[in-house]
Amino acid sequence: MKLRTLERLTVLFSWAAGLLLLSAVTLLLGYLFVKGYESVNLALIFGEAAPLRAILLQERVFNGLFPAIVGTLSLVILSIVWAIPIGMATGIYLAEYAEPRAKRVLDAFFDVLAGIPSIVIGLFGFSFAVFLHKHYSDRIGPCLLISSIALSFLVLPYIIRTTQAALEGIPRDIRLTALALGATKLQNIFLVLIPKSLAGIMSGIILAIGRCAEDTAVIMLTGAVASTGLPRSVFSQYEALPFYIYYISSQYADPAELMQGYGASIILLLLCAILFSVAYGIRKGLTHFAFYRP
Amino acid sequence: MTQDIKIRVANLNFSYRDRTVLQDVTVSFAGNAITALTGSSGVGKSTFLMTLNRLWENVSNAQMKGTVEIKLQHRFRDIYAPDLSVTELRKMVAMVFQVPNPLPMSIRKNVAFPLKLSGERNRGFVGAKVEHALKMANLWDEVRDRLNDDARTLSGGQQQRLCIARALVLEPEVLLLDEPTSSLDQASTAVIEELLIGLKDRLTILIVSHHPEQVIRIADRVVEFADGTIVSAPRT
Repeated sequence: MKLRTLERLTVLFSWAAGLLLLSAVTLLLGYLFVKGYESVNLALIFGEAAPLRAILLQERVFNGLFPAIVGTLSLVILSIVWAIPIGMATGIYLAEYAEPRAKRVLDAFFDVLAGIPSIVIGLFGFSFAVFLHKHYSDRIGPCLLISSIALSFLVLPYIIRTTQAALEGIPRDIRLTALALGATKLQNIFLVLIPKSLAGIMSGIILAIGRCAEDTAVIMLTGAVASTGLPRSVFSQYEALPFYIYYISSQYADPAELMQGYGASIILLLLCAILFSVAYGIRKGLTHFAFYRP
Repeated sequence: MTQDIKIRVANLNFSYRDRTVLQDVTVSFAGNAITALTGSSGVGKSTFLMTLNRLWENVSNAQMKGTVEIKLQHRFRDIYAPDLSVTELRKMVAMVFQVPNPLPMSIRKNVAFPLKLSGERNRGFVGAKVEHALKMANLWDEVRDRLNDDARTLSGGQQQRLCIARALVLEPEVLLLDEPTSSLDQASTAVIEELLIGLKDRLTILIVSHHPEQVIRIADRVVEFADGTIVSAPRT
């Protein structure tokens, strides 16, 4: 009888927790959309510039979010470009090659890395930029490149852990199939294990994309500024949506400006949704390419 | 039917996580015959199969001692000698597992997979080999019109025959089968048994089986395991 009550309570609690979470997310998104939907328009993105001319880089956008959108996109792509190969390679090493002792040490190391507050990583990125500025070139300072490197450190644990978990979760039979057919260990990893675990690895990459797109602490110390226009190169400062949201919500002069912050939040969410969809599409495409191409 | 010795195993000991699984196993297997390995669960039959293609080396915390010689390309080779690579060995000593394990790819790609591993790129050659292997596995007529379909859409029995075709595509000399019909219904089991009987003229087959009726139906010889060692084996 007691067990039955406990079982019912567990189910009830699980349902309640799920509903609570769903309500919180709905409330958050609803609040954001109710507050911000009116300010989301072409003027918010392009200011007084003609949208097409701005997109073709024929006209500069002074009071719109276009430079921040481009800055955020560049930042996310660059960070992911650093983080994916390093993160996946490390995950593969941990799952397939590492001896138990090395694995224990590295596991602890990456747990620590995952626990480092983003502001500390931002500070490290800033110090790195200062170091390069002092010792190598006056032209190097906080910039898009430094931000992306610092952000890639921040998201590496997600990609490492999901790659490792996805590979380790492959059933023994599948793991041995290709080996029994004469595959080398490397062939087994690249032809069977990685394609088989792409869904898991991609979930880590999607998490990493989300984190890169939303993190403010790292970029405010390593290169993001309130107004500079489109980034001219990886060595230039840049605008970014999360920094804009932070800046506008802490410095707004009137309610209309705050509304722009809500609008920017909606655009950031839409941008993340687009990036997630692209990542999902790439995963499907890669799986098809690896397994079903005739 | 020739009955030359194909496999010689001497003083084989195997342990996994400090637990003895096989103890002082010495046995020979005849070529071009079906030998059934019988015995209750956990006595080391599947492990024994894995020592014949060195697959156990991919299992951590396992150790093996002893010698295993297989007549490959007309001469006995110590399969643990450094001059025989493990990938080459596994192309000549193929294995089919208990549960059908098609890779998540098309039927054609599954059967062609070992050829891809060997670096074979000629599409015409690969196509011919795939067709030949599927015919040997009595599956060609059922899948010839759907070779690009996902292999996992096949029935359990068809999937297992696909795995046999995939194992046969490199024309191995020895086929190891670890309870290949244990997850299949009676009809699928009968098809596979018939297929194996048809294959024994071309290769040496070792099959782990828990079903005495199946052993009687298909096996030429029976080797019985108990407590990690062989308790009865025919003279070869």
